[in-house]
Amino acid sequence: MVSRYFFRKKEKQETKNKEENFSVKIVKNIEKNLDNLKEILGEPNDLVIREFTIKGSKHKCAIAYIDGMVDSNLVHNNIMKNVQLITGRDSLPEAESELFEEIYQEILSVTSIKEGTTLDDISNGILSGSTIFYLNGVSKVIIMDTGRWETRSIEEPTTETVIRGSREGFIEDLRTNTVMIRRYIKDPNLRFKTYQIGRRSKKDLVLSYIEGIINPDIVKEVNRRLETIDMDDAPESGYIEEWIEDSFLSPFPQVLNTERPDKVSSALFDGKVAILLDGTPFVLIAPSTLGNTLQSPEDYYERWTIGTLLRALRYLAAFIAMFLPALYIALVSFHPGMIPSDLAFSIAASREGVPFPAFVEALLMGLTMELLREAGTRLPTPIGQTIGIVGGLVIGEAAVSAGLVSPAMVIVIALNAIASFSLPSYSVAISFRILLFGMMFAAATFGLYGIILSYIMLNVHLVNLKSFGVPYTTPFAPNFLSDWKDLILRAPITTIKSRPIYMQTQDKKSVNKGDS
Amino acid sequence: MKSFKYADEKISEKEILIAVPSMVIGVGILSMPKDLASVTIAADGWVPLLIGGLIVVLITWMVAKFASGFANQTFLTYASSITTKPVAIVLTFLFAVLFLLITAFQVRQIADISKQYLFDRTPLEVISLAFLLVVLYAVSGSRAGLFRLNVMFLPIILFIALSVFVFNLGWFDLGNLLPVFKTGFNDYVKGLNTIVTSYLGFSILWFYIALVDKPEKAPKMAALGMCIPVVLYIMLFILCIGVFGREVTANLLYPTVELAKVVDIPGGFLERFESIFFVIWIMAIFNTASMALDVAVLAINSIFKNMKKVKILFILAPVVYIISMFPQEIVEVNSFGAVMSKSMLFYSVFVLVLLFVIAKVRGVKRDE
Repeated sequence: MVSRYFFRKKEKQETKNKEENFSVKIVKNIEKNLDNLKEILGEPNDLVIREFTIKGSKHKCAIAYIDGMVDSNLVHNNIMKNVQLITGRDSLPEAESELFEEIYQEILSVTSIKEGTTLDDISNGILSGSTIFYLNGVSKVIIMDTGRWETRSIEEPTTETVIRGSREGFIEDLRTNTVMIRRYIKDPNLRFKTYQIGRRSKKDLVLSYIEGIINPDIVKEVNRRLETIDMDDAPESGYIEEWIEDSFLSPFPQVLNTERPDKVSSALFDGKVAILLDGTPFVLIAPSTLGNTLQSPEDYYERWTIGTLLRALRYLAAFIAMFLPALYIALVSFHPGMIPSDLAFSIAASREGVPFPAFVEALLMGLTMELLREAGTRLPTPIGQTIGIVGGLVIGEAAVSAGLVSPAMVIVIALNAIASFSLPSYSVAISFRILLFGMMFAAATFGLYGIILSYIMLNVHLVNLKSFGVPYTTPFAPNFLSDWKDLILRAPITTIKSRPIYMQTQDKKSVNKGDS
Repeated sequence: MKSFKYADEKISEKEILIAVPSMVIGVGILSMPKDLASVTIAADGWVPLLIGGLIVVLITWMVAKFASGFANQTFLTYASSITTKPVAIVLTFLFAVLFLLITAFQVRQIADISKQYLFDRTPLEVISLAFLLVVLYAVSGSRAGLFRLNVMFLPIILFIALSVFVFNLGWFDLGNLLPVFKTGFNDYVKGLNTIVTSYLGFSILWFYIALVDKPEKAPKMAALGMCIPVVLYIMLFILCIGVFGREVTANLLYPTVELAKVVDIPGGFLERFESIFFVIWIMAIFNTASMALDVAVLAINSIFKNMKKVKILFILAPVVYIISMFPQEIVEVNSFGAVMSKSMLFYSVFVLVLLFVIAKVRGVKRDE
């Protein structure tokens, strides 16, 4: 219900007039044109305008570009030189329009080239690294794509490291990223659909999918949602994710993000879409299900027995990450009789002198854990290690010897933290940590009864959640038994003969490749 | 957006197969062996369980068969075309009331049993309220969601039941089962009488068949689904008698939960397995309660078409809560349950016979 209102609001915003457009036409007078350009850009000092005349004629020309955004070798050798010294030609056409045509067709040796007629075309082009060619007496310009700028080199992704598998990670440059996907998939049906996101920032966003595999409904829906996006700027794909996800109230991410091209390519083969945004190495994968969030690409790279065991271990880790402290609280404060007597005695002995109830104790340690995690992420790496020492040794040790918390609780919280960070996706791990506090609260109020009720509520939420029309809990429910081969179990690759049924792909057969 | 076919509000026949046992397995089985053991000799209770089970499977099949003849029609629609609109409305309304009573019964029972096995100081009212709120949350979501919950929970429930069975085999004493067939005919009838509560729930088919994608397959699946609780009940009953003996079983309040008490988890991680068993069983009770409430909402919604589902829920929830708090003692709760389940059974059979006969007499066509 809430999301309906949300979407209605977005559609309303769309109809606002776009006053940022400059639909001023280009005139014949070159000086006037250049003045216009300088005026809309505010005469920045990185704007380079070179006026010149063609050798042996009176034709005035100019080229304009932004310094640092273009390949200057290309501009000098293939544009300036060619036009300035039109050699080997007996005569040039007198009429400006014919000359313009000749320059466009025969003289400029740049591959990506187009004509522009409005100031808007020029400003868009020049700001994304194009070089503009002006000719006096023609009300058109030539826009040549000469963009080239410094980018980070391709490195190993820092958020999803694997022991075995590709070391490549996406970078901030969109073009490099699409190239990486192209190199994984040489299928002519691989589609890259480009959008411009941000009224002012005009960032490129690419929607990628494989036609013939993906269910067309998904593409349609993703397309519809991407077109509703209306904001000034999208600095990171997180903005896009939040705008297009099904339920922004849910703690579970309905769109996966990854830095790994191999993960993206296997998702595309499963009939999903990838959304790449310029300026961020994090690529979105949609739709995603609960099962997907607990899988890592490495499950497929090691032998299947190990892959299966690792997945089972991850489900256990997810359980520990969400329930362990809650179970401890419930057992200690509500059902001490359920703990075996020997263990109960030692826990009771260790809790002796601790002034707080188990819930407060767990909350204290849990909050400390979160603080440490946050401090560790924000600080520069060398100092970050200090935090680990301070946190682990000083607080853990000192809190126990000061009698603030019991050693058993330290074990529980530590185990819980390790479990939650063993999950392959950080955004999932973090939502589990939010839910953990809810579970602890439920356990403190109702004990085991509270935990099971919260568990049921969590399930109710999950079965009602959808990611781009795909139920979040599938293939558990709605149940597709044949998809279980690649869920908790990672069956040998030779036996995985079809794409996931829950994605309702067009092309169903023969993948021998699992899920993202 | 246009969802995938499998993701929309239509349900598959597989989900009916799961929904029927999920609805039937609830609080009934927890106390059923006690009532049955007190009227039969030794393990003879399995006879009424089996006979009753077969009868219920048959009725289930007939209800599903009858309802599936009216593909994609709600109960109200086909009942009005067979009888008349006012009669159909009364029939639907009575169903809604009965389903509300089922929900109230489950909500009350869960509090009583929780008090027995989980906490002794927390007041009944609070335990019930917490449970009811979760049920409301589930029902206010999508109907397809409820069926998915069944699919997620039923395997866990069957697993825990089976593990109780397996872990108890060591204490099983065959001598407790003897002598066989010593119970008199009247006692068998009495036995049948006591197990009605446990077999309750096939009546959801009156309403849910309308949502099934391929209704022609539904009767078989529903009957098959109904067999699951029949087998489970017979297993658990014989296990109770085998482990405790008839005398003890008849005196235990919740013999099935007590079975779990005997279980010793290998490795000695946890003691008092019965608490864990009951905690898991809450899922089964939840499935029953949420589906019963959902059918009540569905029934009322078919009468008042313009009312929003959430609004109906807001009106029904306090009613359910008050009814559930009405009986004062466990004895009253039990007799409330007995009366309610018998009326549900007889009402369902009555409606089946009524509609079938009138449809034959007036020659209303079923689309087959």
